[in-house]
Amino acid sequence: MFLIMRYIAKLLKALASEASPAQIAGGVILGMIIGLTPLSSPHNLIILILILIFRVNFGMAILSFTIFSGIAYLADPLFHSFGMYLLELESMQETWTNMYNNEWWAFTNFYNTVVIGSFVSSIIAAIPLFPLTMYGVVQYREHIHAKVQKWKIVQAFKTTKFYTIYQTVSRVRG
Amino acid sequence: MRIWGIITVLILAGLTFAATYFITDEWVEEQVEYEASVLNEAKVEIDGFVFDLFNLQLKWDRLQVTNPNNTMENTFETGETEFQVEFWPLLLAEKVIVNNMKLTGFQLGTERETDGSFEIPEEEKDAEPGFVYDVVNQVSSQARQNAEVRFTDVRDDLNIDSLMAKVNIQSPEKIDSLRRGIQKTYSKWDSTFKNTDVRKEIAQVEQTVNSIKPKEIKDPKKIVETINNVQKLRKQVDSLKTRAETIKKEFEQDYGTTKEDLSQVDNWIRADYQRALSVAKLPDLDVQNIGKALFGGNLLGDYAAYLQYVAMAREYGSRLVGEDSTEEIPRYEGIDYHFSDKYDLPGFWFKNIELSGKTKSDINIAGKVTGISSSQKKTGEPVKFEVGGTDENEVRLSLNGEFNYLGNEPRESFKLAYEGFTLSKARLSGSDLLPYKLNSGKGDVSVNVNIIDKRLDSRIDYLARNISFDFQSAGKPKNRLEQLVRDAIGGTDRINVSALVDNVNGPLRVRVRSNVDDLFMSALRQTVSQELENAKRKVRAEVQKRVDGRKEQLAKFKQEKEAEIRKRYEELQTQIDEKIQLVEDKKKELEERKKELESQLKDKIKDKIGIDFE
Repeated sequence: MFLIMRYIAKLLKALASEASPAQIAGGVILGMIIGLTPLSSPHNLIILILILIFRVNFGMAILSFTIFSGIAYLADPLFHSFGMYLLELESMQETWTNMYNNEWWAFTNFYNTVVIGSFVSSIIAAIPLFPLTMYGVVQYREHIHAKVQKWKIVQAFKTTKFYTIYQTVSRVRG
Repeated sequence: MRIWGIITVLILAGLTFAATYFITDEWVEEQVEYEASVLNEAKVEIDGFVFDLFNLQLKWDRLQVTNPNNTMENTFETGETEFQVEFWPLLLAEKVIVNNMKLTGFQLGTERETDGSFEIPEEEKDAEPGFVYDVVNQVSSQARQNAEVRFTDVRDDLNIDSLMAKVNIQSPEKIDSLRRGIQKTYSKWDSTFKNTDVRKEIAQVEQTVNSIKPKEIKDPKKIVETINNVQKLRKQVDSLKTRAETIKKEFEQDYGTTKEDLSQVDNWIRADYQRALSVAKLPDLDVQNIGKALFGGNLLGDYAAYLQYVAMAREYGSRLVGEDSTEEIPRYEGIDYHFSDKYDLPGFWFKNIELSGKTKSDINIAGKVTGISSSQKKTGEPVKFEVGGTDENEVRLSLNGEFNYLGNEPRESFKLAYEGFTLSKARLSGSDLLPYKLNSGKGDVSVNVNIIDKRLDSRIDYLARNISFDFQSAGKPKNRLEQLVRDAIGGTDRINVSALVDNVNGPLRVRVRSNVDDLFMSALRQTVSQELENAKRKVRAEVQKRVDGRKEQLAKFKQEKEAEIRKRYEELQTQIDEKIQLVEDKKKELEERKKELESQLKDKIKDKIGIDFE
């Protein structure tokens, strides 16, 4: 319960923060890629560095990673099948072989069905998700945020000790 | 761009660098020592280990590999060694691939300062020693036996009782055990024939057949039914006959095995005799054996030591084969597609090792070893070695060969040549027949070994040239035999010995021949031959006395028991045959009764409706 509340608070805070919709969408996308693909895959190190270096919303990246990790747990068999399909594509065989024979490409573990399946899936998902998230953030801020603040549940939540502590910590961290 | 983000990345990178820089040496050293010790079944120790993570370079000052059969000795040790591990195979597939290794200070069989025993964890323990170790043991045992043969103190006044007390005569015990086995087999078959279901079924058949009274059957339908039943009984008796024959066949097979055991008795007696001769240290005066008795001790001892290294190579080879087993794919961790065999590498592969060092006799050696890997099938290369060297006195050593585990049958072959070593002050033989040291001379040894799976073919040639014996320091000849030996070998300046060890045509054969065999034989025939024959006769007679009559008694016992069982079978057979006859007679009787009833029925119809069905 505490964990769910924490995520909701994080989500609401991020949506209401000064971060631009693009920064929030960037966090969602990068977090999603890490979440959907196997965590120990080398490309995730690069994604992590991108999160640290670029001004994407950090909280949103963590939230997105957590949510998509759960989804990945269920979707791994599908990623495996999709990966198999990709790796067995007749027209791609030469490309795969060339990539496999190149140590840098081989290092990415692309030849694993789950890695390639989940990575390509997350990239495909990122294409519509990025503008959709941006659009969602804008819409939320313009039309929903004020209403949400008036919800009894949000009012009640704001009176909890947890929210007070959370606000204090957030202020201290800037 | 986030400045703190960049700083975090840099700090993390710095911490990783520091951790690997300070921790890896010790950790890698421990891991390598542990894994190698498990593989070697004795301690493998590395001193001065340095692992440069960024160049993937390994270095050590000293490596000691303990001999698992003698933990106070190293199988070999090395001095400074340096090599670089290839980056990508290690990163992508955790494979240790080394292109070139420089290994100095290589020495075989060095003494250890501490005990090198290593307790292998239970789950890592390995299988029993293999074929080559068996050969090593057999050859070592022959070497020991040859070293014990005494020619000069052969006497015919042997104390047979005290000799027999030392010899463990095994034949009587083995014969008794065989007798017990025959008795057990007899009891088993006696009970089988006595209690077989066949007997019960025969009795049932008899009872059923006897209960059929054809005369009392009035109904023609009933008679047809009874005939059918009798036919079934006939089939049952036939099946009983087949079952009895099967039991007989099984019995004959079982008894046939004991027949073969019986033919072993002569071998047991022969073995006892040979053991008694060996305890009495009575040599076999045969020109085929004299070379073995003279030079076998030294030559075969050395040969067994060389072969030990082959045994080790094969053992390590077989232990490593299992390492690259097929990987298990856990569910939903996905499957790896391998688009080429680029990373299909063995667990480790030392492509080329340039080694240098010295032998126990201080010959500086250098050479190379190629293709050491955990899976030759993956590298497609056997282990090849070519090492050699010469010392300041022109003593030359060369060793080259191949350990090939590419095919289904492991193959090892090597050639060793050790030439020009001095024989001054050396003894050519451990035998009491040739106790003299040499004043001068040079020796050459060459060893040629070929092993394919369990077939061994090897040859050792030993040449002692320009030799002169030092008879002077041995004093005056103590007996006529010594005098004759001195006369015979005094004129020769060259002794060559050849040992052939093989199992090409069956069990392991060890033959040793030399150019002085005939000289020695002649000297022995002129001296100890008679005493030896007398002593042997006594031993043979005593062994014979102890087993006398036992073989015949055993054969008689077996024959009697076999006859009893056969009698039981024949009895059963007779009973079955009688029942067949009984069933047939009954059937006949029923057929007749059937005809009788049919005819009665026809008569009745004729009387009633006036139609004759005849």
